[in-house]
Amino acid sequence: METLGYGLLALAAATVGVLGGLGGAILLVPALVATGMSPAEAAPLGLVTVAAASISAAPRQLAERSVNHRIGVTTELVASTGAVAGATVSTLVSDRALTYTLALVAVVAALAGRRSGGLRDRPDPACVPSDVGERVGSLAGAYPLDGGIVPYAPRRLGAGLALMGLSGIVAGVAGVSGGFIKTPATSDVMGVPIRVAASTTTFTVGITAATALVVFAVQGRIDPEPAALVVAGSLTGGTLGARLQALLSPSASRRVLSILLLVVAGLLVAQA
Amino acid sequence: MSGTATTSSHPPGRVSTIRGRWQRPALTWTTRALLVVALLGWVLPDPVGDALALAAVVVVAAVPLLRVAWLILRWAQEEDGRFVLTGSALLVVVAVGAVLAALGVGS
Repeated sequence: METLGYGLLALAAATVGVLGGLGGAILLVPALVATGMSPAEAAPLGLVTVAAASISAAPRQLAERSVNHRIGVTTELVASTGAVAGATVSTLVSDRALTYTLALVAVVAALAGRRSGGLRDRPDPACVPSDVGERVGSLAGAYPLDGGIVPYAPRRLGAGLALMGLSGIVAGVAGVSGGFIKTPATSDVMGVPIRVAASTTTFTVGITAATALVVFAVQGRIDPEPAALVVAGSLTGGTLGARLQALLSPSASRRVLSILLLVVAGLLVAQA
Repeated sequence: MSGTATTSSHPPGRVSTIRGRWQRPALTWTTRALLVVALLGWVLPDPVGDALALAAVVVVAAVPLLRVAWLILRWAQEEDGRFVLTGSALLVVVAVGAVLAALGVGS
């Protein structure tokens, strides 16, 4: 595929991926492999997409004050360890096994995208605006929602960290964001409100991706020219997807993305 | 699975002073610059194009790690030693990954 094709594919994947709430890489990497690129070459391009999307989403999420950096860095310590392990051993995994792994990841992400779970936010009338923010020395915090303040305190940290490690391995091996594991782990397992979980995940997937990219760069697996065009396509597609999000129903967007992921998974299995 | 947030009063502890006031504009401009540099890296002929493409990739990988480094500094100012250690350990993990890759482990 010509370099321009990578950029256009990144643009399309980021638009649809952001619309469906799962980011662009989850669609881009399987699509690149389905078009003939080896999984080992596609993984760094996927991680470039993840990191770029994380950077571009940050200003809005910081303004919303929905990111908990202490939860993010704590969970990321385990996730990045998984990403280093995954990226290090990914060169030892056969293309066929990586293709099947990607197909499995696409199916799991499709199913995760269909679920509509997450903690319902409950503003606490006892909280005041000055309560908003992270707490020094702990993972607790409070964030603003619809004129109220929602306090929270994570629980089941061990189980949450185990899932973060798994998401890091998936990111390091397959080159996709582990966000479809991280957000439910933070919300459903650790008891963090879904909005904080989603924003914190966007922050952390960028770190996971950067960690694995450092390993890939040292291994000489990053070709700057297609990677730069993928960056441009991802940033443009991410912005486009965020704008379209306001026009389309979230459930319809998720359904379209899930169907696309299942189609891509089928193509990958047929190709393997 | 769904549920409800279980906390019912003020979370314990001091509220962090980190508001992202510097990060927000810095990341907004970084995103814009990144888009321009990435496109120029594709459009311009080599070696300038190659250099810009490489710069775009370096920025994409560096910014998330720089955010962690900045958080470590801010947490140190807040005397939050636990998270200074956690953030520092995270950067050590990244460095260990780079060293393992440089040593050819796994390849």
